[in-house]
Amino acid sequence: MTVDRRSMLKGAALGAFAFTVGGTQTWLTLREAYAQAVPLQVLTGAERAALEALGDTLLPGAREAGIALYVDHQLSVDPGQCLLAARAANVPPPVTNFYRACLGALDRAATAAHGQVFAALKADEQVKFVDQMRQKVPEGWSGPPSPFFYLLARMDAVDVVYGTVEGFERLGVPYMPHVMPTRKW
Amino acid sequence: MANHEKVDAVIVGAGPSGLMLAARLAEAGRKVVVLELGPPWEPEDLVSSQIWSRRLKWFGANQLEGRNPVAHNFNSGWGVGGAVIHQYANWPRLHEEDFAVKSGFGVGLDWPFGYDELRPWYDRIQNELGISGDHVQEVWRPAGAPYPMPPVKVFPHAQKVAEGFARLGIRTAPAPVAVNSVPFKGRPACVYDAWCDAGCPIGALVNTFTSYLPEVRKYGAEIRPYSNALRVLTNEKGDRATAVEYVDTRTRESHVQHADLVILAAFTSQNPRLLLNSANARHPAGLSNRNGLVGRHIMTHVGAGVFGMMDEDVQNHMGLSAAQLISQDGYAKSQRRDFIGSYTWMIGAANKPNDFTGLANTQVPLFGAALHDYMKRAARGLVKMGAVIEALPNPDNRVMLSDRRDEFGMPIARIVHSLDEHALKLFAHAREEGLRIMRATSAKEVWSPPGPPPLLHFTGGTPMGKSAADSVTDSYGRAHELANLYVTGAGLYPTEGAVHPTFTLHALTLRTADHLVRNWGSVVA
Repeated sequence: MTVDRRSMLKGAALGAFAFTVGGTQTWLTLREAYAQAVPLQVLTGAERAALEALGDTLLPGAREAGIALYVDHQLSVDPGQCLLAARAANVPPPVTNFYRACLGALDRAATAAHGQVFAALKADEQVKFVDQMRQKVPEGWSGPPSPFFYLLARMDAVDVVYGTVEGFERLGVPYMPHVMPTRKW
Repeated sequence: MANHEKVDAVIVGAGPSGLMLAARLAEAGRKVVVLELGPPWEPEDLVSSQIWSRRLKWFGANQLEGRNPVAHNFNSGWGVGGAVIHQYANWPRLHEEDFAVKSGFGVGLDWPFGYDELRPWYDRIQNELGISGDHVQEVWRPAGAPYPMPPVKVFPHAQKVAEGFARLGIRTAPAPVAVNSVPFKGRPACVYDAWCDAGCPIGALVNTFTSYLPEVRKYGAEIRPYSNALRVLTNEKGDRATAVEYVDTRTRESHVQHADLVILAAFTSQNPRLLLNSANARHPAGLSNRNGLVGRHIMTHVGAGVFGMMDEDVQNHMGLSAAQLISQDGYAKSQRRDFIGSYTWMIGAANKPNDFTGLANTQVPLFGAALHDYMKRAARGLVKMGAVIEALPNPDNRVMLSDRRDEFGMPIARIVHSLDEHALKLFAHAREEGLRIMRATSAKEVWSPPGPPPLLHFTGGTPMGKSAADSVTDSYGRAHELANLYVTGAGLYPTEGAVHPTFTLHALTLRTADHLVRNWGSVVA
């Protein structure tokens, strides 16, 4: 049995996610959730800050596009449902351990080099740091290899900025779906 | 522990070979149960998104080691349909020389038969499932029936690269792909939107929805998803398999499925894992492993990507995840003296912005504002080609049992893999040639990542052969030490050639299915 592409396109609803705000479940777009500082389920505040700062350095706009919400949501679901690039890159479950180790290493190495966590660095320091971590493991980094984390965090940033229907539009690439995603991720 | 009534055949793995065998055996009147670790999928689950496509890939733990760890999860499948559900559908044939590498070149292994033995099975599969291509223009292809469909469309991004080949006198031809260029057997033609990797729900590309799942259902074979096979059980004498022990991953209840015939059709890494984990008093090193070869000789293909940036819009979002054109002028292994192996150029795979083969990953060093700028230019003007490069079998590249265990107490697979000098030299050779070709196009920028090279596909580990001394199975996948235990899939390949493994997997499995159906009495006697 196959799917008629036109019927699948009809009625596809995009963009809203269920978030729990003040104990009540509500539907928000990612940008609304980001604007309302919806709390995350897995990542800590420090980890969120590090991931958003890294994401925005890797691809400006990733923070606002919801990189932290995206990663956090994927870390909170059953491993079989996880959509992160890390899954296909052989990162074993629970993938949270990988992100926790890498984000911790990022902040420790930034602190060793600059006396501050990554999110607190100036923009040019962040760029220099990322340029270093993509090529070789920085001083003070202890965790999975930094070039590997660079690759996967960069893929997360590209996913949220360019991997969605809106992202395709931004590039002028026709989306042409058979089965339209009813959620971004 | 739930003991299930004995059936004729229990098959581990609902990928292409498991489902094909289930369909053929059930059609012949056999009662068949298929155990599948992952979930069932329906066409509407094949969401057009590179993000959502990752659900179709395996996610469990492996212990990956060696200088060049295998790209395990990217190449594997998760759920009913296996890896073929997200295949690109490049379906070239192996060449005659691929079947006799050891006898012809003094390295690697030989297949237990030559190309002529597999040729009719290739022909049958392409006529049953459909391949688009041009066997005349594909001058390197060994003898066989013409493809049942004309070639797929060629878009400007592939044509631009082909101009570079032509300027250097290197031939190209339409790529053989398991994608409908025209309506075929009630299935529609492709619309070239390149969501193949996310799974094709319309039936234009061969996956299990269009191949064997309908027949499995029609003939009444039972598929049990969420069934994690743990061990193959044997009789006391150890010469026959009697059952498969598995656990339902939802209820965590243990089950034993008894059967006259046991077939291991799981992923390349998992068949040896199961054989090794099934060790017993009669088979202390694992089933059918007296010679210590279970898990050895695993292989990957080496990839070499070459990219160019054009000024004009080359419509690189149009086409297939597969190539539109192919070149095998560099295939013949006798061309090079210093290193042995073949390679194939795949030209003009379409692009999505994200994921491993997307636009962004064609320039991994770029980030920040430069990446935004690159994405905009690449979405219009990127062209690319990629080499599929052979790596020879090496007994030290192997699947073993790890000291670590999964949540069900089964040791995870420890997979050790390093490339040898042949593969690395061939990579350097192909990459240099690719750069020359791309520079001969009208591209304004040309580049190719220097390595370490990406690895594609995963074959070997349960190699077949003529003799019990130097292989794990016979040419039909029958384990040498257990008369009614069969192994199927790309793990059987003694060598891999420089072509994608899926067509050969189908041909080989159909040959085995035919053997089992015709010889059922002696197989289970």
